[in-house]
Amino acid sequence: MPTVVPLFEAKRFAVHDGPGVRTVLFVKGCPLRCRWCHNPEGQQSQPELAYYEHKCRQCGECVAVCPQGAHAMADGRHVFNRAACIGCGACEEVCLGRALKLMGRPVTVEQARQIVLEDCEFYADGGGVTLSGGEPLLYPDFCAELFTRLKADGIHCALDTCGAVGWECFERVLPHTDMFLYDVKHADQARHCQYTGLSNRQIVENLKRLAQCGVPVEIRIPVIPGFNDDPVSVRALGLLLHGLPSIVAVRLLPYHQAHSKYEAIGCPDHMPDADTPTPARMAAIAAQLAESSGQTLR
Amino acid sequence: MIATGTLEQDKAYLWSKFKDPVFDPDTGLDSETIKANVLKLAEELKHLPHPVVKARAFEYVARHVRIDVNPHDWFVAFGCYDRWNRPLDGLVAKWDREVDDTRLTTLQLMQNLKQSGACGMGKDFDHSVPDWDALFALGFPGIRQRARSYRRRRQDSGQLTPEAEAYFDGIEITYTAILDMLGRFRDHALKHADGDERVLACAACLDSLIQGPPTNTYEVLQLIYLYFMISEYVDRLQVRSLGNLDRTVYPYYRKDLQEGRYTEAQIREFFAYFMMQFASIANPWGHPFYFGGTRRDGQSEINELSYLILDEFDKLDICSPKLQLKISPNTPTEFIDKAVDIIRRGRNSMVFLCEPSIKRAMMGYGATEEEARTCDITGCYEFVPRARGNTTIVAYLNMLKPLELALYDGVDPFAGIDLGCRTGGLDAIRTFDDLHAAYLKQLGHIIESAIRCANDFEQHLNFINPTNAYSATIENSLATARDAFHDGSIYNISSILTAGFATAVDAMMAVREFVFEKQELSLQQLKDVLRDNWKGHEKLRLRMLQGRSKYGNGIDAVDFYAETLSRFLGNKINMRPNGRGGFYLASMHTPPRYYLTHGQKTGATPDGRLAGEEISRNISPTMGMDINGVTALIRSATRMDSALHPADFPLDVMLHPATVEGDEGLVAMRTLLNAYMQRHGIAIQFNVFDADTLIDAQSNPDKYRGLQVRVCGWNVHFTDLSRKEQDMFIRRAQNISG
Repeated sequence: MPTVVPLFEAKRFAVHDGPGVRTVLFVKGCPLRCRWCHNPEGQQSQPELAYYEHKCRQCGECVAVCPQGAHAMADGRHVFNRAACIGCGACEEVCLGRALKLMGRPVTVEQARQIVLEDCEFYADGGGVTLSGGEPLLYPDFCAELFTRLKADGIHCALDTCGAVGWECFERVLPHTDMFLYDVKHADQARHCQYTGLSNRQIVENLKRLAQCGVPVEIRIPVIPGFNDDPVSVRALGLLLHGLPSIVAVRLLPYHQAHSKYEAIGCPDHMPDADTPTPARMAAIAAQLAESSGQTLR
Repeated sequence: MIATGTLEQDKAYLWSKFKDPVFDPDTGLDSETIKANVLKLAEELKHLPHPVVKARAFEYVARHVRIDVNPHDWFVAFGCYDRWNRPLDGLVAKWDREVDDTRLTTLQLMQNLKQSGACGMGKDFDHSVPDWDALFALGFPGIRQRARSYRRRRQDSGQLTPEAEAYFDGIEITYTAILDMLGRFRDHALKHADGDERVLACAACLDSLIQGPPTNTYEVLQLIYLYFMISEYVDRLQVRSLGNLDRTVYPYYRKDLQEGRYTEAQIREFFAYFMMQFASIANPWGHPFYFGGTRRDGQSEINELSYLILDEFDKLDICSPKLQLKISPNTPTEFIDKAVDIIRRGRNSMVFLCEPSIKRAMMGYGATEEEARTCDITGCYEFVPRARGNTTIVAYLNMLKPLELALYDGVDPFAGIDLGCRTGGLDAIRTFDDLHAAYLKQLGHIIESAIRCANDFEQHLNFINPTNAYSATIENSLATARDAFHDGSIYNISSILTAGFATAVDAMMAVREFVFEKQELSLQQLKDVLRDNWKGHEKLRLRMLQGRSKYGNGIDAVDFYAETLSRFLGNKINMRPNGRGGFYLASMHTPPRYYLTHGQKTGATPDGRLAGEEISRNISPTMGMDINGVTALIRSATRMDSALHPADFPLDVMLHPATVEGDEGLVAMRTLLNAYMQRHGIAIQFNVFDADTLIDAQSNPDKYRGLQVRVCGWNVHFTDLSRKEQDMFIRRAQNISG
């Protein structure tokens, strides 16, 4: 049985997810439910149909092909009954407005490898592949197998993780991974739990163990106004990272609202109603964090 | 003594210099009088050969045109400043008519090609590059002196035919008139300087250029500007490259600094005023110069002057001159990053040209390694052996028209014109291969027809517009006593361009998918639907528009077909003898506007396009059809062999600003450049902006006066584009994500 994962996007020419130019493979399924999540289509592991209402041409082509009757036309308008949808993707093929998109098509290791290899000429300046999500370590065998093959192809392999998985998942991929992108959200357990649905205990423990393994780790911290951008939270995050070896950089990612994605997949939207931090604000937080963590900020 | 103004203070003068300048009427005659007198003079001299008549007319203009040497400028001002109303326009137009009326046998054919939208055509006097090295080394008097010695040599060997004599007379009269004209400028400056340091310095500069070759940076820039103005505005031959200034000006720059003649700040000022001339001319096609290249020892030509010039350009925030960067693996990363940084700040006015791929393409038509390595970049992104080649653009193919002709058995459905090639219509097309064969036959027939027409009119280029000023700079022309823009260069190249290449690929692939593979409709039904411009078939149109087989997405089967078509173009066109002792080369370059005008003359096409809509340009995808991102686009484009298109092979890439932010953004753009170069791509230009910005710019043009875009090698302000063209950019930008 080939190892298969649900893939919801292959982003080519990605330049901010690891070194150089990369292809980022986003897999579906995530143990966290961060309120600010800007990839809500990555949370559930089963396929989901995204429906971009504004693109719909009311052509009705989807009605004819849907085996579940999830699509209907009423008074000349398209009506989508999400509860009936099984995520087969038949409607995506016939949609004339590109308004329907199936999130989560199963790919095998070899299919994923081929997607990555198509752009191998663009990885020259240290680029390569990044597995992201969702949480790729929900599929440790897939990750390990894909990285094993891609490393044989000479491709740099990075893995973007939220860390909320058992340590054995890390152990499975460690020998094949060139770099980890490790997401850290908050140092306080209760606050972490309140905003992401899970405590950060496992995440912090895994990070400390991972930092001892000698594989470069880039820390990624989403800066969420009202959650982790106050001086106390920033300082606590800094102290958490202080003295950890193997950390090559800490990158701060400014919060952006992305409501349209929630709407498209019909997922409850709890995104904070906050503005994107200004570059000046980001620089100030970076300075605080650099001081308390002693790490290099990017 | 009057204090010299700063650039900011002088900008008002500089911006008006080519729009509504003020000249002292005492310095000469108004342009209408000059034009009338030129025609009268030509009538009196009509028994003389054209090079001599034109040189006399040139001389008349040089003596009578109004002039100025202004305290607000380091460069002189010509009374003939209007590109659309040049003093010799009437004379050249008269000879042009004479050729059309009495000598051409293919006028009707050419008319048919143009009217049907199958192929644009025309005589091209817009793409000359003089031998800048010779001009610098010899100066204006030395160029005349060198021509005299070639004349003497010919006379001594008894080979001074009447035709050769006319050729040398033309040069002698022209260059003597040039020197006299410089004298007029100098004397005017001295007379009106009123103690102004800059005007006096200009007078001294002119005096030096009258005596001999330029001796310093200021003189050399004045010489470039003077030659440009003289050739383009007086001698009526457009100059399409100012050369690679970082190489040509460098020795003067070094010497000036070493000898303390000028400070670096002064040299920066000269360059700023120099570039402002071309910004002020503001012709839509722009006036290029280029950076870089490779020296004989394999080192890059990039030096500290390259950085200085780029700096000054950056500060000016102007569209023209447009900059071309000849890059190769030896080009310093720092310089590429500097250029890329300017581009990503919205200054989309540069194009990169990959030297190894140019070399490969040029050596493929017989150029030597050195000729290929040292070629000049000219026009939008063309390249030509330095001082040894001329290029004209004679025809612009519409790649969609052959498909229409295949469906209508050679009769154009747009204008009802029979273009004369029978492929049997629908009855003869049972498979996709049949359609492909008919398409190629129709395309081949258009190319043959275009070549017949171009051979016919290009025989008379030197009759219509003998190029005295230019020919004198080209040594092979002097040695052969033949016009350098006709047959007097070593490489006399005519190029045939294309428009709608990607759209044609998409259209053919759509027919294959929907008619021959899925069999959703018959070819007859498709023909009817297209004739009715999809009326009543909107769903079908959308399906065909969104079909999976679109060029630019890295799809093997589509790219294979694109490669086949591009190979046919190359095989059919390259190395065919032209009408002036040279040969044709194929180009994938689409001239500005032809993607619109050809589109207007083309009915609905099977790719889902509506009648009259624009078609694709260069090797770029049809607007909005590249949905797999920039890496897939580059893979598709470079699946074709660029060496099959040695006249040009340009790709337009649009990037979202978020993609190119920060240090990673620099790496990303450099990576794209390198990948394109490694895959033998030739020219690549970036437009960096997001759709929201463009939409906002469309509604609030005042807020976005500085937003530049590159269209087919022309730099323009986005707000100056037509609504339709703006929409095209917006649609393409909507396809890219951050």
